[in-house]
Amino acid sequence: MDEIEYCNDIMVRLEELLFHELSGCAAWKVELIGVDFIQSKDIKGNTPPGVIQNCIQEITTAGLVKEMTYSIGGRGVKLELIMRDCLHLPKEVKLKKDGVKPYICPITNMILDQLIEKLNFETTFVAEVSIDEKSRECKTRSAIYEDEAKIGLVSDWSEE
Amino acid sequence: MGDIIDIITTRKSIRRYKPDPVPDEMIDKILEAARWAPTGENYQPWRFIVIRDPETRNKIGRLAKIGSGSRMTAWYCLGEMQERFEKIKDPVKKAEVLRFMYSGEVSEFAKHAPLVIAVIGSLKEGSVDVPYDLSAAIENMLLEAHSLGLGACWVHGPAATTRDAKKFKEILKIPTGMGEYKVIAYVAIGWPKEQRKHPRPKKSLEDLVFWEEYGRKERPNYG
Repeated sequence: MDEIEYCNDIMVRLEELLFHELSGCAAWKVELIGVDFIQSKDIKGNTPPGVIQNCIQEITTAGLVKEMTYSIGGRGVKLELIMRDCLHLPKEVKLKKDGVKPYICPITNMILDQLIEKLNFETTFVAEVSIDEKSRECKTRSAIYEDEAKIGLVSDWSEE
Repeated sequence: MGDIIDIITTRKSIRRYKPDPVPDEMIDKILEAARWAPTGENYQPWRFIVIRDPETRNKIGRLAKIGSGSRMTAWYCLGEMQERFEKIKDPVKKAEVLRFMYSGEVSEFAKHAPLVIAVIGSLKEGSVDVPYDLSAAIENMLLEAHSLGLGACWVHGPAATTRDAKKFKEILKIPTGMGEYKVIAYVAIGWPKEQRKHPRPKKSLEDLVFWEEYGRKERPNYG
């Protein structure tokens, strides 16, 4: 049995159901999905790049994602993650095929969780999850807020 | 029996309040209205926490501000907020409205409401329709407050994410286990300081109603 496929299929059904129940705000409720893995690791780092890099190291070493890069922009508020060959990609593809826009990225949740847990970030928000099944690549854009003063620090993310 | 359509159609979400307190008898009426909402299997899962302490209201207001602001800042950066408010043509006014939204100030008003009522639902003792039951109770509260001349607003912001819902519970000393209570929203209530000039436009019944089956727009003659 393909255990990964089995688990992804279960996640698809749960995600469909949650979206059906809550509509768009389902995406706001799922920030803890995936964090158990990263919390079981002893992630070190005193800065966002340090913490993110160490998370990526654990994620790729464990084989959850084959290749992964990140960038921080938008006045320090935007975190962009690009992932190739993620274990959960089949889940996103199936969800998309069933007419629900993918909205849970466990890998992104892991990194945002560690910014909060290790660097005391005020809050974070996954703003966009996009997948490309042909290139097997996912991209997420999240807002990361080091402190309350960063809320409202706007810029145009399309120009970056 | 009286028709309450005027109460329903004149209600608006009020976010600015005079500092005057809401009398106890009015609070009781609002809670009584909530208690009579429809509820699946008559389980009545709702519980209400009445908050007047300014420090607690400040904490809730801050949580709501950060919650809404964190989402709206991101939506603005993606260009979604600008689309949502594209009908505002005056660029100065539009910029001010957008700033009000993405700063999170739009949800901060619990700080200034003399009365805040948190609406939570028990998930332990017989419960099947908690979010729906709680929503019905909130609507009853809003209508009763309006009928008493008060202004009120239903705010989901501080309970919208899992982490924020936990913080909200901690502020009010609600057990934080996911299987214990669901925090759905708070309702801010006070004497209105604003008269909303432009009620948000509503879709017409023609746009909303089908007859007998989905998609059928013409009204059948029932003779």
